[in-house]
Amino acid sequence: MNFQIPIGPQHPALKEPIGLRIVVDGEIIRDADIRLGYNHRGIEKLAESKTWIQNIYLMERICGICSHSHTTCYVQGVEKLMEIQPPKRGLYIRTLVAELERIHSHLLWLGVAGHEAGFDSFFMYVWRDREIVMDILETISGNRVHYAINTIGGVRRDLDELQVKHILDSLEILRKRSEYYKNLGTTEPSFVARLAGVGYLSQEDAIALCAVGPTLRASGVPSDVRKDDPYAVYDEVPFEVCTADTCDVLGRTVVRIKEVLQSYNIIEFLLKNLPAGPIAVRAPRRAKPNEVVSRYEAPRGENIHYIKSNGTEKPERVKVRAPTLGNYAATIKMLKNGFIADVPLIFAAIDPCICCAERAVAIVDSRSGEEKIVPQSSLKKITRNTTANQERKREVEWPW
Amino acid sequence: MKIGAFIPELLRHLLKKPATVDYPFKKLEVPKDFRGSPYLKPELCIVCRACERDCPAEAIEIISINETEKKFKMIIHNDRCVHCAQCVDSCPTEAMQMDTRFEIADYDRHNLKMQWEYVRAVVKPKSEPKG
Amino acid sequence: MAMVNTLVYLIIYPGLLFLFVYSTFCEWFDRKLYARLQNRMGPTHTGKWGILQPIADFFKLMSKEDIVPDRADKGMFSALPAFGLAIVSTAMLLLPIWNYKVAKPSVTSFNGDLIVLLYLLTLPTFIFFLAGWSSTNLFSTVGAMRVLTMLFGYEVPLFLAVLSPAILANSWRLAEIAAFYRHHPLLILVNLLGFVIALICVQAKLERTPFDIPHAETEIVGGTFTEYSGKKLALFRLMMDIELVVASGLLATVFLGGFPGGPFLGLLNFVIKTLIVIFFLSLIRAATSRIRVDQVVSLSWRYLAPLAVVQLLIVILVKGLLS
Repeated sequence: MNFQIPIGPQHPALKEPIGLRIVVDGEIIRDADIRLGYNHRGIEKLAESKTWIQNIYLMERICGICSHSHTTCYVQGVEKLMEIQPPKRGLYIRTLVAELERIHSHLLWLGVAGHEAGFDSFFMYVWRDREIVMDILETISGNRVHYAINTIGGVRRDLDELQVKHILDSLEILRKRSEYYKNLGTTEPSFVARLAGVGYLSQEDAIALCAVGPTLRASGVPSDVRKDDPYAVYDEVPFEVCTADTCDVLGRTVVRIKEVLQSYNIIEFLLKNLPAGPIAVRAPRRAKPNEVVSRYEAPRGENIHYIKSNGTEKPERVKVRAPTLGNYAATIKMLKNGFIADVPLIFAAIDPCICCAERAVAIVDSRSGEEKIVPQSSLKKITRNTTANQERKREVEWPW
Repeated sequence: MKIGAFIPELLRHLLKKPATVDYPFKKLEVPKDFRGSPYLKPELCIVCRACERDCPAEAIEIISINETEKKFKMIIHNDRCVHCAQCVDSCPTEAMQMDTRFEIADYDRHNLKMQWEYVRAVVKPKSEPKG
Repeated sequence: MAMVNTLVYLIIYPGLLFLFVYSTFCEWFDRKLYARLQNRMGPTHTGKWGILQPIADFFKLMSKEDIVPDRADKGMFSALPAFGLAIVSTAMLLLPIWNYKVAKPSVTSFNGDLIVLLYLLTLPTFIFFLAGWSSTNLFSTVGAMRVLTMLFGYEVPLFLAVLSPAILANSWRLAEIAAFYRHHPLLILVNLLGFVIALICVQAKLERTPFDIPHAETEIVGGTFTEYSGKKLALFRLMMDIELVVASGLLATVFLGGFPGGPFLGLLNFVIKTLIVIFFLSLIRAATSRIRVDQVVSLSWRYLAPLAVVQLLIVILVKGLLS
C-alpha cells in the first residue's frame, strides 16, 4: 500500500521549512522528492542595491550558523576586485574565527544528530560544551552569532594577550571533552545502531551527484578547498583532510569529529604564530569593472560566490551557491530504500542549512497543482506582462 | 561496543551544580566589547554623514533643523538596527559608540527610537580615520 | 466498617485521589532526575523545587481547546482516554498495599491476580493503537502500526520475567509472592536477571526511550497522539503517569518484596520501593537513544526472550535444590 507522507514544510525534525515528499510502502521509502523555495528572501537582488560595505552585513545574514563563511567568501572576492591585499595579522584573525566557527557548527550538528536519533542526553552535553566556543567568540567579536569581524581589507577587531590565553585554556577543556564524545558516539550501542548502514552513498555516486563537504569526504574522497585551492593562510598552516570509508551517516559523524580535533590543532598553531602588525588596509569606495569567483570551505562544504562589478560603488550581480544546494541531489539518492525512521537522520547528516540554499523557485499552478522550474528570462517576461500597466514604486516605504 | 557507556558520566553529574543559569532571576555578565545598541555623543559629531551612508539597515537619519545655527537632529531607529557597529567604525571622531544593552525588547517599535538635537561640533577628525 | 474501608480504598488511598497526587509526584521525580543527569535544572519555581509542575501541566491542558478532526470516528476518539484511565486505575487496585490479609483471599487479592494485572497492563497498548487508528491522520496511522509492532517484541520476555519469581514462590497471588520474599530475602538475588529484563520490557511498555518509537517526536510529529489536544490529551498523559506507577508497583511487589506494615508504614514502603524502580527507569531513559522498530523486535527475540528462558531455568533449578 503506497501512500505519500509529507515531511515538512513544518515538521519537528526540520529546523527550517522545506517540502520533502516521500512515497512509502509500510515503513520502507520507495521514492522521494524535494520542493524548495519556502525560505527565499531575495538576497541576491537586494545585494545589487547596497554598497560594498553594506553588503558584508547582508551576506552575513544569509545564515546564522555559517555566517562567517559567507562574509569571508564575499570579502575575499571584493578584495580581489579592488586589488588590495589584507595584512598578515588580519588574515590570521580571519582564519582563527573561521576555525572557531567550524568547531561550533560541527558541535551543533553533533547535538542535533543526537536529538534526531532520540539521544537527548548526548545533545545536552555537547551543546553545553559548545557554549565555551560561543563565549570565546563573544569576547573576540562582540556577539555570539553574526560575528561581523570582517571588513573589506582585513578585520575590525584585534586580539590582546588576555584573550589569547583564555582561548588556549579553553582549548584544553574542549579537547578532552571532544575525545570523550568521539568515544561515546562510536561505542554507545543504541546510537550506533541508528547510524551505521544508514544513508549509503557510494564513492562514484558522491562524485557524480556533486556532493560537497563531509558528505563527500565520508565516502572516501579527500576533497577540501582548504587544500585544493588555499585561501587566507591555509597554505602556511599544517593540517590533514579528514575522510572516512564507511559512506554512511556514521562515517559523516566521524569525519566531523575528526575535523573538530584538527581545528583545535590549527587554532593552536595560529595563536602561537600570530604575527604583529596592522589588522586592515584602507579600501576604496569603488571597484573597477570585473568579475570574480571566490571559494571557501564552509563547515558544510564548498561555498562559491560569484561577484560582478561595473565601476560603481554597488555590485552588478552577486550569486551565491551554498554547499547544501549541492547536497540535495545526493540526499534523494540516499533516501531511497531506507526506513521512515531514518529520514530525519539522513537529512540531518548532510547538515542542511536550508536558508543558505534558497536560490531556486518552483512555480506551482494553483488551479491544477502542476509545477515547473522556469529560467530567469521567462520569469522576467511573466512579471513584466503582469505589472506593465501598474505604477512603479521607486523608493522603499519604511513604516514610521 | 559497551553497553551503558554513558552511565558513569551521567551519574557523576548528579552531584554537580547544573550548567544552566536561573534566568531571569540571575543574569550572566556580558563581555567588555559586547555590541549592544548604538548611541551618539553629540559634542563630538561633525555631521560628516558617514554613519548614515554606511548603515546597512538605514537606521540612522540626520535632519538639518536650522541652517544658520547649524542645528541638526539625529534619529537612531533602534528597531531597524542590526547591531553591526559599522557606524562606530565609520565615524572619524568617535562620536558614535556602542553600549552593552541587550534586553531592549518592547511591545511598540516606536519606543525603540532615540533622538538627539545638537549643534554641529568643530572638532578636527584624527589624522588617520578608521576605514 | 468494611464499607467505609472499601470506600477509602477505592477513592482515597490507593484509589483515585492518591493516584492523582502520587503519579504527578512520580512524574516530577522522573523529570527532575532526568534533568539532573543531563546537568541542567529541571522543573523549578512551581512550588518548592517544581513539585507542582506536572499538576500545573495537567490543569493547563484541561483548559485548552479540544479539537476533534473532521473525518475521525467521534465516539471512539472521545471515549478512549476515559477508558484508558479507568483501566489503569483498576489495575492499581490489585496491588497489595493494605486492606488485604495474606491468609484470606478477597476481591482485590485473589489467586491469579498477577495474570489479571498483566492483562490490564496490556490493554493500554490497544487503547493507543485505537487512538492512533481512529484519528485518520497519516502520522497517527504510522504511530499506531508501530505500537502493535512493538507489542510483538516485548510482551513475551515481560511475561516470562515476571512469572519466574511467581514460580519460585509457588503462587499466582501477588500478596503471597510478596510475603514469600519477605520471609526468604536471600532468594531475591536469584531473580536478578529477571529484574533487569523486566526493567527493559517495562520501559518498552511505557514507551520511554529507548523505546519511545510510537510517539517519536522528531520522526512522526506526535505519533498516536498527533490529533489529541485539550482535555483528552490531559487524560492520556495522566493515564501514562498512572501506568508508570502501576508498572513500578508491580516490579516492586514481585522482585523487591512488597509493602508490609499496614496503611502508614506500607505507604512509606510503597513510596521508597517504587522510587527505586523509577530511578532505574530514568537512568535507562537518559543513557540510551531511540532505536528503530525492526531493531526492537530483533533485539527482544534475539536477546531478551532467550535470557528470560534462562532465568526460568535458574528458578526451576533452585526450586529443585530447595525441596
